[in-house]
Amino acid sequence: MKDALAFLVLGLGSGGFFALLAIGIVIAYRGSGVINFAQGAIATFSAFEYYSIRKKGIIRMPWVDILPTRTLNLPVNIKLSESGKVGYLLGLILALLMAVFIGALMHFLVFRPLRSAAPLGKVIGSLGIMLYLQGVILRNFGSDNPQPLVVLPKNNFENFAWLGKPLGRENFWLAVMAGMVALGLWLLYRFTRFGLATRAAAGNEKGAVLLGYSPEKLALSNWAISALLAGVAGIFVGSITGAMNPVKFSNLMVAALGAALIGNLSSIPIAAIGGICLGMLQSFTTTWLTAELFPKSNTLPSASRDAFPLIVIVVVLIFRGKSLPIRGTVEEKKLPLSPYPKRVWQHTLIWGTVAIIAAYQFQGSKWALPLTTSLIAAMAMLSYVVLTGYVGQISVAQMSIAGVAAFLMARMMANGKISSDQPFPVSGPNLPWVISAVIGIVVAVIVGVLLGLPALRIRGIQLAVVTIAAAVSLQSLYFENSDLTGLTAGSNAVVTDPTVFGIQLRSIGKSGLNDNPNFTIFCVVVLAILAIGVSNLRRSGTGRRFLAVRANERAAAAAGVDVLRTKLLAFAIASAIAGVAGVMTSFQQVSVSSANWVFGFSLAVLAFSYLGGITSVNGAIVGGLLYANGMITAFGNHHYDGVVEYASIIGGVSMIFTAIQNPAGIAARLQPGLQYLGTWLLKARRPEWTAAIKRVVPGMALAAIPVIVLMFFKVTEWRNWYLLMVPAIALFIRAISLEIINAVKKRRSSASPATAAQPVTESARLVEQGA
Amino acid sequence: MALLESVELTVSYGGLHANDHVNLSVEEGKVVGLIGPNGAGKTTFIDAITGFTKPSAGRIVFDGRDISGDGPAARADRGLTRTFQSLELFDDLTVRDNLLVSAERPSFVGTFLDLVKPKRKGTAQSQVDWALATMGLSDVADRLTVDLSHGQRKLVSVARALANKPKLVLLDEPAAGLDTAESQILGSHLREFLNHDMTVFLIDHDMGLVLNVCDYIYVLDFGRIIAEGTPTEIRSNPAVIGAYLGESAGEMQAEQGRVAGERAHA
Repeated sequence: MKDALAFLVLGLGSGGFFALLAIGIVIAYRGSGVINFAQGAIATFSAFEYYSIRKKGIIRMPWVDILPTRTLNLPVNIKLSESGKVGYLLGLILALLMAVFIGALMHFLVFRPLRSAAPLGKVIGSLGIMLYLQGVILRNFGSDNPQPLVVLPKNNFENFAWLGKPLGRENFWLAVMAGMVALGLWLLYRFTRFGLATRAAAGNEKGAVLLGYSPEKLALSNWAISALLAGVAGIFVGSITGAMNPVKFSNLMVAALGAALIGNLSSIPIAAIGGICLGMLQSFTTTWLTAELFPKSNTLPSASRDAFPLIVIVVVLIFRGKSLPIRGTVEEKKLPLSPYPKRVWQHTLIWGTVAIIAAYQFQGSKWALPLTTSLIAAMAMLSYVVLTGYVGQISVAQMSIAGVAAFLMARMMANGKISSDQPFPVSGPNLPWVISAVIGIVVAVIVGVLLGLPALRIRGIQLAVVTIAAAVSLQSLYFENSDLTGLTAGSNAVVTDPTVFGIQLRSIGKSGLNDNPNFTIFCVVVLAILAIGVSNLRRSGTGRRFLAVRANERAAAAAGVDVLRTKLLAFAIASAIAGVAGVMTSFQQVSVSSANWVFGFSLAVLAFSYLGGITSVNGAIVGGLLYANGMITAFGNHHYDGVVEYASIIGGVSMIFTAIQNPAGIAARLQPGLQYLGTWLLKARRPEWTAAIKRVVPGMALAAIPVIVLMFFKVTEWRNWYLLMVPAIALFIRAISLEIINAVKKRRSSASPATAAQPVTESARLVEQGA
Repeated sequence: MALLESVELTVSYGGLHANDHVNLSVEEGKVVGLIGPNGAGKTTFIDAITGFTKPSAGRIVFDGRDISGDGPAARADRGLTRTFQSLELFDDLTVRDNLLVSAERPSFVGTFLDLVKPKRKGTAQSQVDWALATMGLSDVADRLTVDLSHGQRKLVSVARALANKPKLVLLDEPAAGLDTAESQILGSHLREFLNHDMTVFLIDHDMGLVLNVCDYIYVLDFGRIIAEGTPTEIRSNPAVIGAYLGESAGEMQAEQGRVAGERAHA
């Protein structure tokens, strides 16, 4: 009993840490209606910053050198002292000021422009910041992971509260600090004019404006306070959580989110108490309880650490949720329109042929792997198209579901023998690849539907929180759990090579590269089937019900649509697609390892599918091409060496930019231009062609100049590409500029009747054009 | 046997009874109206009947069955559909698709077929065509609902409620925001529904419309039924004039409506 209490008390430190993060989340949410998933990333940045200032005397700014020049740059590093050492107090103040600065930047650059965006837009914005900060940390502070500096007194209470166990003073003081901060902020918000104004603006922004408060200034101050708290948490947590790494605190966000939700995202004291209790109970379950109940398992402790907050979050939210939104609920801004797909078969045939030709062309070159990566990423993104694009459910766990399919398939293939690929034997039924894959996908569907159950009562941003918790839990409960995977010491599970009628579909070809054209064709075929299926879904009754639920759950129910069934069906279909993507990823990598199925993978896929356009199949394919290590990154890396290192930063920035500027995604922008081009090519006759050639040739000549210059300097590698691309680029630019000219003309002619007519024509055009 | 009956239906929010022991019945093949001042509990009543609000006491009997335990979608399946005061259309879908959502019913096999062959002909299509034609929306069937005028959007919301050939349609203030002429047209449409084996339950502020179109009227005030009867009885009922119509103003509005109605019929 004494032991149990001692373990409870040991969790005080991490509890204090969760509490500080949770208070920050609550304050930011009240100030601007955003759940800030980047809170942990700010804490990580601050911890690294403090270390860098104290140990190296360098302040590093929250941005990086800009590609590729490294000349047109803001300063990234500021050297403070030649000796490389900075005092304790100055270091602390500077590091905390940097956190406040990040908070202010977030307000001005991200959340102020996003203040009237759809909830998904805000989620994407904060996930974008998280991805960006992680990339910046990796780039600016290097990849060595030092032990953090200790700020609070470190030595032990030898026999704390007579429990017979030593307790680090750090733990105790961190909890006390969290308590003091909570009390201080509670007083601030309760009894000052600023606090009153913030609470008023959170309740009714218009009302607050009418009373003369500026919601902008209030939001800015709240963001600054919130970021400051993240900085405090990151710096003062010290040695409690061990060595630092760029994603460290982002993964601890789940517990902090849980604590904030316990406080209903509005109460500072309850969030603080919730955080401390979560930390203590977590320490209790991971160390004492699991040891008592399951003394043999050595992986369960860490697994239960992540699963515990998930359970708390789900229970809290389900009790607070409603199965249908009540009357008078403020209608949230909607996702962009989902265009009606047209000429699906023609597009599939044309692009499928192009991809198959590429499969043979890329044999033996470095381009084959990016191509399959893009194809498989596009499959994964189709799962988001169904779930988020069609039904409007924000899930961040789709790739964890894909991971379930991958790991289960590998286990079903295992045969318990030792081979050169598999030094440690993994027991398993040794099933053929098709059956293993099907079992994997079926179980992924089951897991996906279970994950969908909370969605019946939880909506929008809160659902995103649940799925994040679920993703982190799946990672530690299953992928890193050797009891279930049978893998020893983090080794990879080996995947049997797929064959069809004796044709070898192994992704590694004769040359040892991942370039077997058979595998690429396999990917093309699978993607084509999925793409046609998802397009058909949009055009069918099921798709109509999906969009009806996305548009308005109450009205859908009144029209006889079973909302719960529809949502679960969407989760099932999306999980099946994710499962297929998981299986294909395993075949591509020839193995399955937990390092490839971290929670960040889901985030990256969501980010890029939003970038491409989350509401259409075209968007998924554009997203697949853009995806990290996909075709476009490979192309970029080919020309600008080292662009891959910036993938996370570029991804984060483009997520934020897309959320603010272009929520419909890139596909929705490209579509009208390409459509115009396609129609033109079909309908143009001789006079049009001559006119076009007259217009295009000068452009082509201009574009040829750099090519000739390159040839002159004998940059032979680039030449083929540019020569091929010039006509396409020229025609494309022409199409786009004509599109713009037409739009301007139309606007001028319709400017006089009414400006309200504008969105009407816009949406009508989108439907007309479809896919 | 009445098509719809509410027995001692009570809906409470906290201590407030929004509906207080409401007994109401709708005969098949009739247009029945429910009127009452703002905040009388009319929309709460429709919400309770269609399953959007949970009554604290009482029963709802529809078509001879107690449906109190069913969800909104199940009630719609049984042939009890509604419109919303705030329309609540599916703005991402075309007018035809809006109606199809209501007319189609999913099946297990159908879900798989949807992945392979999305455009299948079914009875839903003809029902939707009929509903579009009835409400005069055939010309705009392939446009997005956001592109339509407010009056047309109203008609779409009614058409959507008709699209699955319900036994009973509950219309929540269909004439709000329409001008007198438009509401007259709507009134004449409502009587037509009766020829298609439908019963209509109408809530509206427009006294002209209600008194002209309905066969039987209930008056709700502070959550209680204070009067019921034929339009003529309601027009002369002193309790109604006192509680709802106020002084002669309401009477005048009713009179205007009647005259206009006669003109339209003639």
